[in-house]
Amino acid sequence: EPAPVPRAGWAPTRPPALTVESGGRRRCVTPAQQPGTGGVSLQRYCSCPARTMRGSGSGAGSLRLLLSLAALWLSDANEPGTAMTTRDINQQTRKSISDYTVKEHDLSTPGSHLTTQDFNQQTEENISNLTSAVYSISINGFSSAPVEENVILYSPANIALSCNLTSPSTDSATVNVTWKKDNETLRSSSVTFNETKHVWSTQYMLKIRDRNQMGNYTCVFKRDQEVKATFHLQVPQIEGKEHHVVSYVGDSVVLVCKSIKYIPISWIWYMSNGSDQVAVNDSLMPDKYTVDEKYANITKLKILKISEEDDRSYWCQAVFKLGESKGKVSLKVLTYMTPLKPFLAIAAEVIILVAIIFLYEMYSKKKQMHAEDEKEFEQIEQLKSEDSNGVENSTTRHRKV
Amino acid sequence: EPTATKEEQQPIPPPDGGWGWMIVLHFFLVNMLVMGMLKTFGIFFVVLQEEVGGSSEQISWIGSIMSSLRFSAGPLVTIACGKLGDQLTSIIGAGLVSSGCLISTQATSISFLCVSMGLLLGLGFACLYQAAAVMTARYFKKRLALSNAIARSGMGLTFILAPFTQLLIDFYGWQGTLLIFGGIMLNLVPSSMLLRPINTKNLQDFSGRNVDSGSLTQSKPPATLTSHLDEISTTETQVNNRLENAAGLESPVPCRQPLLDFSLLKDPFFCIFAWSFLFSQLAYFIPTFHLAARAKTLGIDSMDASYLISVAGIIEAVSQLLSGWIADQNWIKKYHYHKTYLILCGITNLLGPLATSFPLLMVYTVSFAIFCGGYLALLLPVLVDLVGVPRLHSSLGFASFFAGIAAIAGPPIAGWLYDYTQTYAYSFFFAGTCYLIAPISFFFEPSVHKWKLRKEEELNKVST
Repeated sequence: EPAPVPRAGWAPTRPPALTVESGGRRRCVTPAQQPGTGGVSLQRYCSCPARTMRGSGSGAGSLRLLLSLAALWLSDANEPGTAMTTRDINQQTRKSISDYTVKEHDLSTPGSHLTTQDFNQQTEENISNLTSAVYSISINGFSSAPVEENVILYSPANIALSCNLTSPSTDSATVNVTWKKDNETLRSSSVTFNETKHVWSTQYMLKIRDRNQMGNYTCVFKRDQEVKATFHLQVPQIEGKEHHVVSYVGDSVVLVCKSIKYIPISWIWYMSNGSDQVAVNDSLMPDKYTVDEKYANITKLKILKISEEDDRSYWCQAVFKLGESKGKVSLKVLTYMTPLKPFLAIAAEVIILVAIIFLYEMYSKKKQMHAEDEKEFEQIEQLKSEDSNGVENSTTRHRKV
Repeated sequence: EPTATKEEQQPIPPPDGGWGWMIVLHFFLVNMLVMGMLKTFGIFFVVLQEEVGGSSEQISWIGSIMSSLRFSAGPLVTIACGKLGDQLTSIIGAGLVSSGCLISTQATSISFLCVSMGLLLGLGFACLYQAAAVMTARYFKKRLALSNAIARSGMGLTFILAPFTQLLIDFYGWQGTLLIFGGIMLNLVPSSMLLRPINTKNLQDFSGRNVDSGSLTQSKPPATLTSHLDEISTTETQVNNRLENAAGLESPVPCRQPLLDFSLLKDPFFCIFAWSFLFSQLAYFIPTFHLAARAKTLGIDSMDASYLISVAGIIEAVSQLLSGWIADQNWIKKYHYHKTYLILCGITNLLGPLATSFPLLMVYTVSFAIFCGGYLALLLPVLVDLVGVPRLHSSLGFASFFAGIAAIAGPPIAGWLYDYTQTYAYSFFFAGTCYLIAPISFFFEPSVHKWKLRKEEELNKVST
């Protein structure tokens, strides 16, 4: 499928110096769309996380536009990359273009265009939708251990990281504060430092717009000792399943990944192949893999006709605006013989018990019948002996008489 | 005339031991496996929800059908025992249970499981349970309460089954686990074969007179009502023996008595028992269901909560044994103990909501377990005292049927109470109230006793 590329002929309010000639069409790609399908309707806006519309200097702006257009051209020259890279570039392009208060023009329906007013309104709404948050860490004294905190972001936001150091000593030596990102010292233009009685607080303002700004931000207070606090800016972690999913050969199984609080843009499934990960392509093998994405925050990978080769780990990757994160689900495949063996063992034991009890019952019944026969025999003998005694008595009597 | 067959037919006194202990062993196994399966259904619930799909309401139907059918199929089992005999019914029950487990491994949808797991297992459990209970009552008279309690202590071992089930599911998946469970339940077939039929006579034997008259009507009014019942039972068994021909191990079928005795429903003694059984069964499930949930709302973590439950199980088993032994000493009539335990259960539950911390909750759990075990052990002996052994099958069948209605109604009522009041306190109030209503009927027992004696005298006056 052709990768979306900007097409010549769109008319912004401030016309750029150059146009890009290439095939294909450019549109704001939303996750529900497949690239290459029909045109976007007129009413679809891109919810572009726009920066301030005041314009940030035309010089820097045009340089950025050149660079992004070059990147686009390069991407066109390459093979159509994965959906992800294209989206990234789109994001970049959108941002840089938006600096010029240009309007988004959809070329699929020539002649239709959005008015500048509409677009401005949309972008203004986008600005106010951005969240602002303050994350703060309090450090007690210079001798405390380094403190860490996880900050979970999934969409662009304005945040302020604040470190407060409380030191009990009345030493009025100066305290140096530096902020570092991943061990690189940051320029201090967005840092404020406030020193009141024994509480030194510093604040670092950040506008998070893309994934490059995620990472570890450390505030360092230095006097004679050094103390640090670190903020880990990261995308939400996806929890897979800690325990493996058990399934049987020939059966089908559904692997589920959820992201409850944060809704990702899209999901991608990978399966482990040896030591590396290969994407699961459900469109290539539709009778083996099906991805069900009924809700945006739950993804289900259905694997049909399971065989022993499917016994491996699967990763669901959630794509957020500021990065991706993976969760692991492992599948264990058993054959029917595995539980059948204990079952047959138990069944054999049952049959043996039944046989034993049956034989015991037969044996005790026989014994009972023998005992009764013997009793009967004795009784008959007794009767006989009584009879014979009687006869003898009568004869003796007879004789006696 | 051969004496062999006559000896087999001739009634012997209830052994109160000997082969009776084999019957107790079988009943113990039945209790352990049946209750174990019912209690571990909760674990299957979670797994089934993930793998087969379906809403939690649909899946809980399986559990409801299973536990309610175990009671409600009582009358059906009575008929089966009447026609086929206890031993065969029990074997059929074991077969139903294991085939239900095996068929369920092939299940593809929830409705399939409702039938294969809910229906078949419920029916099988009912067959097994009732046949075993009645056989125990036949084999034991003086030590019925103790032997019943020993058999019921099998329920206390079910707490082992839960982690075992979880282990099996982790290893083999739910289908493999059901396959293995089917095999384990198959063990009930040889243990059912231990149910050797016996026809018992009771100690007071008024043979001769009544048999010659050839009718089942009561003749002379004896001193106490219980001995009167014994006389009827003796009469019936002896008449049956005469009417029946020798057939090896066939158990005697009371020919003159219908298989399912609907006249029991009018018998005030049965009504007394059914009333108390219904309310106690309604109340029984609620504290057990909601104990873990209440512990959670009080902030107690799940490890401690499961510790509570296992402690409750063990204490209940021990208390059953003690209660059975005490009742068998015959210091006072058994139903007095039963009454007392029920009242104490009710009071404990009414005070339940006061337990707001882990030690207090432990106190509540321990006392509830003691009194609960006490009254549970006496259910069968009290029923035997009230209606006698020959009509035990019918009465147990009907009583179980009513209990089945309570078993279906109980948990939903409790759930509705929680949803309505958003606190578990009212469930405990409800349970406590039910437990206090249950023994009310026993207070009428002396007056019913006198009423029946008067009726006997009137009948005798008429006949003489």
